[in-house]
Amino acid sequence: MQFELDEDRALLKQSTRELLDKEAPLEESRRIMEDSDLGFSKTLYAQLAELGYLGLTLTEAEGGAEVGCIGLVAVLEEMGRAAFPGPYLDLVLASEALRACDCDLAREWLGRIVAGDAIAVIARRDTLQADDAAPASAVFDGKQVAGSKLFVPFGSHADALIVTTRQGLVLVPRPGTGWNATPLETLDHAQRFVEIQLALPGTRLADAEQAQRALARVDRVAALGGAALALGLMERSLEMATQYTLEREAFGVPIATFQVLQHRQAEMFLQTEASRAAVYRAAWAVDSNEPNAALLVAAAKAYAGRAARFVCGASIQLHGGVGFTWEYDPHIFLKRTKTLEEFYGTTHQQLENALSAAGIA
Amino acid sequence: MDLAFTQEQEQFRNDLRQWLKQNLDRPFLEEIRDPANDEDKLFEIRRRFQVKLNDAGYLGMDWPAEWGGRGATAVEKAIFQEEIFRADVPPIPNLLGVTLLAPALIHHGSEAQRRRFIPNILNCEEVWCQGFSEPGAGSDLAGLRTRAEPDGEDFRIYGQKVWTTFGPWADWIFVLARTDADDRHGGISFFLLPLDAEGIEVRGLRQITGESEFGEVFFDGALAKREHLVGALGEGWRIAMTVLSYERGSTSLAEPARNDRFLADLARGISERGTAQRADVREKLAWLLVENEVMRGNGYRTLAGLASGRSPGPEASIEKLLWSELAQRQSDAALELLGPQAHLRADSAHARPTMDWSREYLWSRAGTIYSGSSEIQRNIIAKRVLNLPTR
Repeated sequence: MQFELDEDRALLKQSTRELLDKEAPLEESRRIMEDSDLGFSKTLYAQLAELGYLGLTLTEAEGGAEVGCIGLVAVLEEMGRAAFPGPYLDLVLASEALRACDCDLAREWLGRIVAGDAIAVIARRDTLQADDAAPASAVFDGKQVAGSKLFVPFGSHADALIVTTRQGLVLVPRPGTGWNATPLETLDHAQRFVEIQLALPGTRLADAEQAQRALARVDRVAALGGAALALGLMERSLEMATQYTLEREAFGVPIATFQVLQHRQAEMFLQTEASRAAVYRAAWAVDSNEPNAALLVAAAKAYAGRAARFVCGASIQLHGGVGFTWEYDPHIFLKRTKTLEEFYGTTHQQLENALSAAGIA
Repeated sequence: MDLAFTQEQEQFRNDLRQWLKQNLDRPFLEEIRDPANDEDKLFEIRRRFQVKLNDAGYLGMDWPAEWGGRGATAVEKAIFQEEIFRADVPPIPNLLGVTLLAPALIHHGSEAQRRRFIPNILNCEEVWCQGFSEPGAGSDLAGLRTRAEPDGEDFRIYGQKVWTTFGPWADWIFVLARTDADDRHGGISFFLLPLDAEGIEVRGLRQITGESEFGEVFFDGALAKREHLVGALGEGWRIAMTVLSYERGSTSLAEPARNDRFLADLARGISERGTAQRADVREKLAWLLVENEVMRGNGYRTLAGLASGRSPGPEASIEKLLWSELAQRQSDAALELLGPQAHLRADSAHARPTMDWSREYLWSRAGTIYSGSSEIQRNIIAKRVLNLPTR
């Protein structure tokens, strides 16, 4: 029995941290979140592709690194720590959808994503009321997709959308005139959501039945990936808060000496570490096809989502007034956790998944 | 990363399941669960089961072969606990003798002490209780004031111990007593005393569950023989601390396995009540399920560490906090979700036959206090992991 990462994945995690420390320090990432229209660094994403980061879960035959979900969550944990901006997880999810479609077009686009030559994301929500689990209402008539999609992540600059329709998954390449897109600004200014109106030609990747299978896999990786990012966000939030309480003095002593603050930090640590155990165990279960993988993924996402909300919120509280300023960093982390909780498998959905996976109807 | 059990470990589990199946026959289980049992009767049933376990070689599995050990690893011990909890067997009555005193004797005792005491611990001829906590020394154990005064070669013990689990049924007690008033940790020694000695009085303490599983022990000049001093004078604190660490991993899989049973009963009860489709009910139940799985994940992590030879540091505090606090939320939810029936005590009319939630609800209050309260566990994390300063 071994909880630690094997040598290859440990090395991958370590080199990811070094890369992000060097290329995506928080100061630089904040500049991108706040000032750039794109919301991420194209150069850095090209570099990630070159280093193989866009095919972690793929097999060698697919051009991937074959490090499985364990490798993926190790990388995502580091990206969470860095509050690394951009569509990394969205590209992974698009890849998961494409690899589940058995056609040349899907293979072609998968290859492009892995190589860093194209950005493709899934366009899924049709209405403000719908969550990811809702059936698609966009329509594909064999030639054209008609409908509108909300909360498409980093959609403005996508080279193609993988659109969920009543008839299955359809690939829609960006028209020469660009997308008919409206930005949707959420509380998380690191995120770039858009609403896209579709009356555009496309090609079917998967029929409705295949699409359902593909999206089930997408949902599983989304939940696992969201939980892993949340883990990284928590880790860094706790570190920042601890550092701050050691430096900040009140009543003539560092505020870290106050037991009420110590116990809050102890609880932050507990929930972070419990999340770590849950996230990695779930990743291991998916990679080894354990029969309880569905339960473990749901548990990891629900728990880490709630824990991240607590830990990142507590970090703001421990920072006091400056924690509420735009200038200090804690708010970035809280904002990211809320996006992950709502848009990468809601807590409500995970709880229902957990009940059904445990055989409680 | 690999959280699978080895073939040997799976084999160990299968053998144990087989053994439990054969030895937990219906009459035995019915006898254990008979609500008419008084505490003495229950203790006697548990004593018989311990003898069976010992005869089958399931006690002291990780001790030296000379004392019945079979080279078991921490993972196998955890599997043993998991299966015992899954099978819903009450803990062995000589739990403190087997899990704390015997390892102390093996590692720190004399050969004569081992020969004299270990066999009777295993076969339950002599039941042991632990004399550590005092009215003025609980979380601050090193503040204990019970003292051992030299009397020729021997010692006389004066003072009071409290929260002495199994005190009312025990034959012997192992006691931490002060032999040097000025040396906080180095002035504590480890003694063994028979409870029927002159100058010792045991009184049961009634707990909030109504039971008297623990008690108080008063010492007024009771004789502790020199031959019953474990280790050297002043070594008591060190022995106590190492002994407490031997049980690492024992709750890692066991607590989640116990909760599996509880959650199954809760789900069944909800379905019988017809509330299984209510959103608030589903949410509460699902969170308990999720938290139990998260706790099991943490348990696997602890065990994996033990398996690679690392003694768990602060993870032990995480584990303690997780299980003790979840147990409270779980029984609290059960009383709410199952309604009035869950409030009925086991021997009452209409009581739920499968599970005594009312006792569980009250009993769960103890878990966050004993073996290092939740506050102490959070102090340990704050100081030893996060390195936060003391004022």
